[in-house]
Amino acid sequence: MAGWSEKVLDIDLNTQTYKTYPLDMEMARLFVGGRGLGARLLWDMVGPEVDPLSPENVLIFTNGPLTGTGYQTSNRFSVSTKSPLTGTVLDANSGGFWGMQFKKAGYDVMIIRGKSEKPVWIEIKYGVITFHDASELWGMRVFDLTKKLEQNNNKRNVLCIGPAGENLSRIASIMNDRERALARGGPGAVMGSKNLKAIVVEGKDRPVIHDPERFKFLLYETRKLLAASPLTSQALPEFGTVVLMNIMNNIGALATRNHQQTQFEGAEAISGEELTEKYLVKNASCWACPIGCTRMSKTGKVEGEGPEFESTWAFGAQCGIDDLPAIIEANSLCNDLGLDTISVGSTIACAMELSEKGYMDSDLRFGRSDQLAPTIEAIAYRRDVGSDLADGSLRLATKYGHSELSMSAKGLEFPAYDPRGMQGQGLLYATSNRGGCHMRGNMVGPEVLGLPKMIDRFQVQGKSSFVILHQNVSAAIDSLVLCKFTNMGVADEYFARVLSTVTGIQYDTGELTRVGERVWNLERLYNLREGFSRTDDTLPPRLLNEAPTDGPSQGWVVQLEPMLKEYYRGRGWDENGVPRPQKLEELKLADLLVRN
Amino acid sequence: MPTVKLYANLRKLAGTKELSTTGATVGAVLNELVKWNPALRDVVLENGGLRPHIVITLNGHNITDLGTPVMEQDIIAIFPPIAGG
Repeated sequence: MAGWSEKVLDIDLNTQTYKTYPLDMEMARLFVGGRGLGARLLWDMVGPEVDPLSPENVLIFTNGPLTGTGYQTSNRFSVSTKSPLTGTVLDANSGGFWGMQFKKAGYDVMIIRGKSEKPVWIEIKYGVITFHDASELWGMRVFDLTKKLEQNNNKRNVLCIGPAGENLSRIASIMNDRERALARGGPGAVMGSKNLKAIVVEGKDRPVIHDPERFKFLLYETRKLLAASPLTSQALPEFGTVVLMNIMNNIGALATRNHQQTQFEGAEAISGEELTEKYLVKNASCWACPIGCTRMSKTGKVEGEGPEFESTWAFGAQCGIDDLPAIIEANSLCNDLGLDTISVGSTIACAMELSEKGYMDSDLRFGRSDQLAPTIEAIAYRRDVGSDLADGSLRLATKYGHSELSMSAKGLEFPAYDPRGMQGQGLLYATSNRGGCHMRGNMVGPEVLGLPKMIDRFQVQGKSSFVILHQNVSAAIDSLVLCKFTNMGVADEYFARVLSTVTGIQYDTGELTRVGERVWNLERLYNLREGFSRTDDTLPPRLLNEAPTDGPSQGWVVQLEPMLKEYYRGRGWDENGVPRPQKLEELKLADLLVRN
Repeated sequence: MPTVKLYANLRKLAGTKELSTTGATVGAVLNELVKWNPALRDVVLENGGLRPHIVITLNGHNITDLGTPVMEQDIIAIFPPIAGG
C-alpha cells in the first residue's frame, strides 16, 4: 500500500539477531504512524510489570506514511517506550534527516528488544543489518561520534546516545544528525540500558505515493500557503523560536527562578532579538522544510545549532541567568552529552532553590552562569552533585524532603510557560499523558498569540474544549509525522487531504482528528494500566496555591479543579478520568481491554 | 506620556526599541506612532484595525479593543506576527 513500507524490523539485542515481518495494516490505518503506531505497539509489548530500564522494555522507532515523501517537513520520526523518568507511556519525536533516511531504508517500524552483553552499534545499509562492537565508542560524546560514524545529511545518518544515556540519566536524550534530539522523558537512558550506542541508517527506497500528480499539486499549494503566512515565512525564519521570550515575559507568564516569579528582569538579554543581533551565524532547516527556524549560533567557545526558546528559558529565566553566551554553551554541551535541555535546566533551577533555602548542601545559586557547564558535566557522568540531579527534579526534590519544589507534572519538568498566567496551559500540563509538556498541544497559540484567534488567557469556563482539540490535533500531527510549525500556515484539514493522496485511503478532517483522539485515549489507557489515576492529573502546589505578587498575572493561581471536571466530561471519561466504555467503542479501542 | 515598546522586526523598521508618544486610547497611540514612522503603518494596521496576528498588550494585558483608554504611565507593547515553542 502506498505511503507505508508495510514492513517491521524487529531486533533482539540479547542474541544480536533480527527478523522482518509485515506491518498490520488495519493497525496502521487506525493509528497511522509515529506516536500513534508506537503507542499501539507499546501497549502489546510493555506492561506494568516491566521496569523501564530493564531489558524487557523496548524502543520502538516509527516514521509515518508522509515521512520521506518530500511533503513539507516530512522529515520527522518518533521513538516510543516506557519512560524511565515518569513511568508513563512516552514518545519523543525529532526532525533533521534521520527519519527520512529510516523511511528510505524500507521500514515503518523498528523495534529494539533485550540488552546486548557488550556495547554495540547497529548499521542498516541497503537492507543489510550489521551488529558492530561499540566497546571503543562507549564513552564518546555525540559530536565526535556522529563524525566518526560518517554522518552525511542526505545519505547516511547517525542516531546515538552520549555519556548521559550510558550512565542511565533519566533525563538523557537520544540524539540524531548531531544536534537534533528525541529529548523528553529519558529515552537515552533506555538506549543506554540496552548497551546500544548508535544506529546508523543508509537507504535507497523511495516511498510510493498513491496519486503522484495530485501530490505535486498539494506540494505546490502548501509551498504557497507557507509563503503567505507571516508566521512561517517571516517570524520563524527571522528570529527562530526564542522570539517568544519577550512576549511571555511581557504578559507575566515566563516562569522564573523555579517558578518563584512570572517575570524575569533579564528577559531582554536572552531574547530572540538579542540572539539574532549578536550570536546568529545563519539559519538552517531540517530535510524538506522551507520554514528554516533552526538557529546556527556562535560564541567564543562553541558553534552549532540552537538554542531553541525552551532551552534558552530553562538555562536562562528558570535559573535566573541573563548570560546568553553561557546559555548557548550550556545548550551545546547538553547536545554533546545527550541530555534534555528543558529537564536539565529546570532540575538545576530546582537544586538552586533547594540549596538557597538550606534544604540541600550545595553552592548552586540562582544567577550563577559559571555553574551551568560544570553542573551539566556532573549530571552526565553522575559525579558529585550531578549524581542527585541526573534523575530529574522530582527524584531530587523528594530526596531532600521537598517534592513540592519540583516544577513538573507526572515527573516531567515543565517548559517555559507559567500556567498561572495561562489557565488552559495549566490544564494541558496536568492532563498531558507524558507529563508537563508543551508539545502535546500548546495553548500559547490561542491564549497569547491569537492563533487562530485570541481567547482570554485567564478564563476558566469553557477552556477545556480548546485544550481537548489542541491535544487531539497534536496527536494526529505526531502520528503523520509532521512538524507542528507547518500547522501555522496550513490548516489541519489540509493534512487529511495530503494523507489521502499519499496512501489512497480516504481520510477526511473528522477522521484525522479522530485518529488523534484515539491515540490520546490509548495513551490514557496505558497510564491507567500502569497505576496512574486522577490524583496524578495535577500540578505542583506552588502553581495551585501561590499567586504571583506582582506583574500582569498578579493574584492568579491555576483553577485546575473546575477545568479538570469539565475536561473529563468533554473527553467522555468518568469522574475519575477513566474513558467510558462507549467512548472506547466509538474509538475502536474497546477490543484492547477485552484482549488484555 | 505612555510608552510604546516594539519587538522583533518592528525595531528595525522603527529604528528604536521604545518611544514615548501621545494618545488617549490605544488606537490614538497607534495613529501617532504610524504618523511618526509611516513604515510601521502597513505592518501594524489594516482597514482601520489591527493586521492579523499583531499582538498588542497594555501593561501586559492583551488588547483587542483599540478604544481602550490609555493613562500617562501605561506601557503599550506591540508584537508583529511571532511563533515558536
